[in-house]
Amino acid sequence: MALEFGILLQVLFWGLYAGCIYILLATGLNLIFGVMKIVNFAHGELLMLGAYITATVFVLSGLNPYFIIFLTMLVLGLIGIVVERLCFRPILGTGKLNEIFLSLGLIYVFQNGVALIWGDERQVLNSPYQMVSVPIGAIQLPLDYIIIIVITVLILVGLHLLLRRTDLGRAIRATSQNRKGAMIVGIDVERMDMISFGIGSGLAAAAGTLWVVSGQVFNPYIGSIPAIKAFSIIILGGLGSIPGAIAGGLLYGIAENGAAYFLGGIWKDSISFLILIIVLIFRPTGLFGESGE
Amino acid sequence: MRLVERRNFSRYFTGIALLLAVLLPLLAGMSFYVLNVAIIMLIFILFTSAWNFLAYSGQASLGHAAFFGIGGYVSTLIARATGFSPFATILVGGGVAAFIGLLIGLTCVRLKEWFLAMVTFGFAVIVQVVVASPLAATTGGWDGIGSPRLLSAEIPGYLAYEYYAILCITILSILCIHLILRSHVGLAFAAIRENEVEARASGINPVRFKLLAFTFSSFLTGIAGALEVHHIIYISPEIFHAETSFWPVIYSIFGGLGTISGPVIGTVLLTVIWEGLKGFGLTYERFIVIGVLLILVVIFLPRGLVSLPEEFRKRWGLRRTLAEPEKKSD
Repeated sequence: MALEFGILLQVLFWGLYAGCIYILLATGLNLIFGVMKIVNFAHGELLMLGAYITATVFVLSGLNPYFIIFLTMLVLGLIGIVVERLCFRPILGTGKLNEIFLSLGLIYVFQNGVALIWGDERQVLNSPYQMVSVPIGAIQLPLDYIIIIVITVLILVGLHLLLRRTDLGRAIRATSQNRKGAMIVGIDVERMDMISFGIGSGLAAAAGTLWVVSGQVFNPYIGSIPAIKAFSIIILGGLGSIPGAIAGGLLYGIAENGAAYFLGGIWKDSISFLILIIVLIFRPTGLFGESGE
Repeated sequence: MRLVERRNFSRYFTGIALLLAVLLPLLAGMSFYVLNVAIIMLIFILFTSAWNFLAYSGQASLGHAAFFGIGGYVSTLIARATGFSPFATILVGGGVAAFIGLLIGLTCVRLKEWFLAMVTFGFAVIVQVVVASPLAATTGGWDGIGSPRLLSAEIPGYLAYEYYAILCITILSILCIHLILRSHVGLAFAAIRENEVEARASGINPVRFKLLAFTFSSFLTGIAGALEVHHIIYISPEIFHAETSFWPVIYSIFGGLGTISGPVIGTVLLTVIWEGLKGFGLTYERFIVIGVLLILVVIFLPRGLVSLPEEFRKRWGLRRTLAEPEKKSD
């Protein structure tokens, strides 16, 4: 029984760790959705690009990969701004289907652009703490996982402070609550679009960095599935709600790892969609969603 | 999203396209390569038209690979088990796909845009897992299974016959779609797509029409899937990959969403571009080209290539040519 409990705890912990990546993606998507009312289905490609940039900088410089995260977030933030200006701004307000179609194009461009530069073989990065694990009670926790959870919490706290305590954060929240009202009080809403898209992309880059440093295999095609799951997380948690994204991310991480452990690895991806479909049958607007959107 | 086509022009265009399609095997000198490309292209025209039919009712699915693959698997398994001709079993494949489409349609009736896209996408992922793992004993799992050929390879020039058979099926299906969309059903679809509340207010039952759209679209998609599988004589769970779902979307947008000719033009043009780029030895680059083209079309030509002549006229003010046929059309 003690062993059973230990395994359960281990699964829970893996879920927590996997959940971190979903939370970062879902929070970014949610921030962008809140301000611009659009969904970038190519969000996962930013994660993938972040993973490659971190890996390249790591190989070239040999820096501690956990420091590279800031650089990668900055680079991806800038790329995000370019994507927003060139692709999403022209189609703002032209219909929700156009976003899906445009994102499809972006997915092709990003995936194959990366494959062109770095090749499409599967790669793995070895973290300096690969062998270190911390015993907590009956289980052994890899140090990497603990660092990842801590970094995610720090990023989320930072985002919270940015949104709550700074003028920029207030302007972003105002734009997301009422775009016209924000314009009337003199907020440059297009700038807010750009900034929130940049922050969202930066969060995706953080997720990508955490992905590679935890020793997960990466190739140009890793991004789509996590992004789509992140999107179904925000559907479940309510569009635009960041606490909903966090709760949903944790739920997905745990449910997936539970399914992989108890049913077999192949079920890992489908269990999250199963949850989504079942929830949407009973609540077409998501668990906490308001009617309307 | 409207069918603004000049009668005469579109009639000539259809005539020429049909003539070319019929003569193609002779023009290409029965080349194996050209026929293979053309057959796959026809199958995707059918697939894309089926997807577009659903989109016409305002429902954009991102998981049509599910129905494509289900059609292929059902038809293959039945043909293998009973020895019936694939020409009969593709109908069963389509039928099963339609039934499952109806069930998914029931799930999606109350969902909009992204929600629907997510559910359909997720459904394809789930189907892939179910086919590859719990049903592995019948479906052969990830290794896949062989599928009987549509026509026996012993017939001389069988590929040309196969081409004509698939051409007939495709033309027949597009004709069906055309007739349905021209009838009151098509009007109801458009009304639901533009404004569901108003459609309801004018006495249209959205649920009935949305389910009809889903069922018929899945049926045709299932047939397209079965045809492809019987053409390449092999099927594996790879068929449920997201890319299979994305192609019809890309072709439709490229040609023109919500039109009859859009999916045909989009599929033909992109196939030509695709094969052309392949000729230059490009691999990843051609995906990038397709991606960039898609982005450009969405931004600058949201109604697809079929709206190009109209856009030209609008921009250069050649009003004479625009005004004349508009009056003529009844």
